[in-house]
Amino acid sequence: MPFMKGNAPIRRTLKYLEAGKLVFKEGVKIFSINYNTSGPHHKGARDFVFWYVPQIQYKNPEVQVITFKNMTPSPFIRCFLDSGKELLVDIDSRSKEEVHSHIRRVLCKTDEQLAQEAVAMEKKDNPANFGKGYARSCICEIPGQVPCPGVVPLPNHMRGKFKHADNS
Amino acid sequence: MAVMSRLVAKKACILLGECVPSLIPGTSKIRVKRLKLNENLLMYYKHDDFYHVQDPNKVCKSGDIVLIEELSEKVTTSVSHKLVNVIYPLGDITDPITKRKVVGDKYRDVLENIDKQFGESESRFVYEKAKSRGWQEDKRDFTHQDSYIKYHESEEDQPYAV
Repeated sequence: MPFMKGNAPIRRTLKYLEAGKLVFKEGVKIFSINYNTSGPHHKGARDFVFWYVPQIQYKNPEVQVITFKNMTPSPFIRCFLDSGKELLVDIDSRSKEEVHSHIRRVLCKTDEQLAQEAVAMEKKDNPANFGKGYARSCICEIPGQVPCPGVVPLPNHMRGKFKHADNS
Repeated sequence: MAVMSRLVAKKACILLGECVPSLIPGTSKIRVKRLKLNENLLMYYKHDDFYHVQDPNKVCKSGDIVLIEELSEKVTTSVSHKLVNVIYPLGDITDPITKRKVVGDKYRDVLENIDKQFGESESRFVYEKAKSRGWQEDKRDFTHQDSYIKYHESEEDQPYAV
């Protein structure tokens, strides 16, 4: 793999980031993990951060994902929801897979919800749309439509000043 | 609809950040660390955003981790968030799982127990009797104001010069 430098560069591939399974529910705003850089009971937390945090941030760009290191003796995940509530997950001596499956069950959208949203997204992405945010901002840019009057003058039968002119 | 930007988490209602010295009175400056995707390397790097936050009582001090909330309207041009509460005050962190006070990766009650076993020295720091943070400001604690590089030596004392 040329230019795939670093520790476990597979984490830096688009395929890996897209394959993230943790898509948080609507109310989750902040996802924070506290863990230590040494200690066997923090190993699962360290591995979780190493492998899954890029996927989590990629799939949830609106959520603030932060890590705090060496603050408390035991590792935990603390989520802040927009209703003012907090969610605490004790991940002491848990493997990264256990943490991942727990978070998936508790905080994430189900597979059915994700499938429904994927279908809804496909419906929205109509290539014929134009306007703000789309590739073509005006109808004059679409082939087959009337060209922009700022570039090419409209024919006289379409111009008001000619249609309503007094031929005096 | 416009493609959702995957670069930086945008428009969050609540944020978690660290308090840093603020020049505007009646506010605190909060540094919010977020992850920003480098499109070429496809790696997430830390990215700092600074927010001036409504804090008339100066509840949070430099180094505290606080929760801030976006206001529905900007109070002034710079102040757009308000302080909700202090999550981890510096030096006095409570482990949310066990609800015990911690110092680094050790529990305070365990450390006190060890001190008792070895015999407590008179000059040791006692957390219960210690004054709340702020009494050493301008004497030995210079974290509440921004520091600057010293450009010239003047006769007056410059404690905030680096």
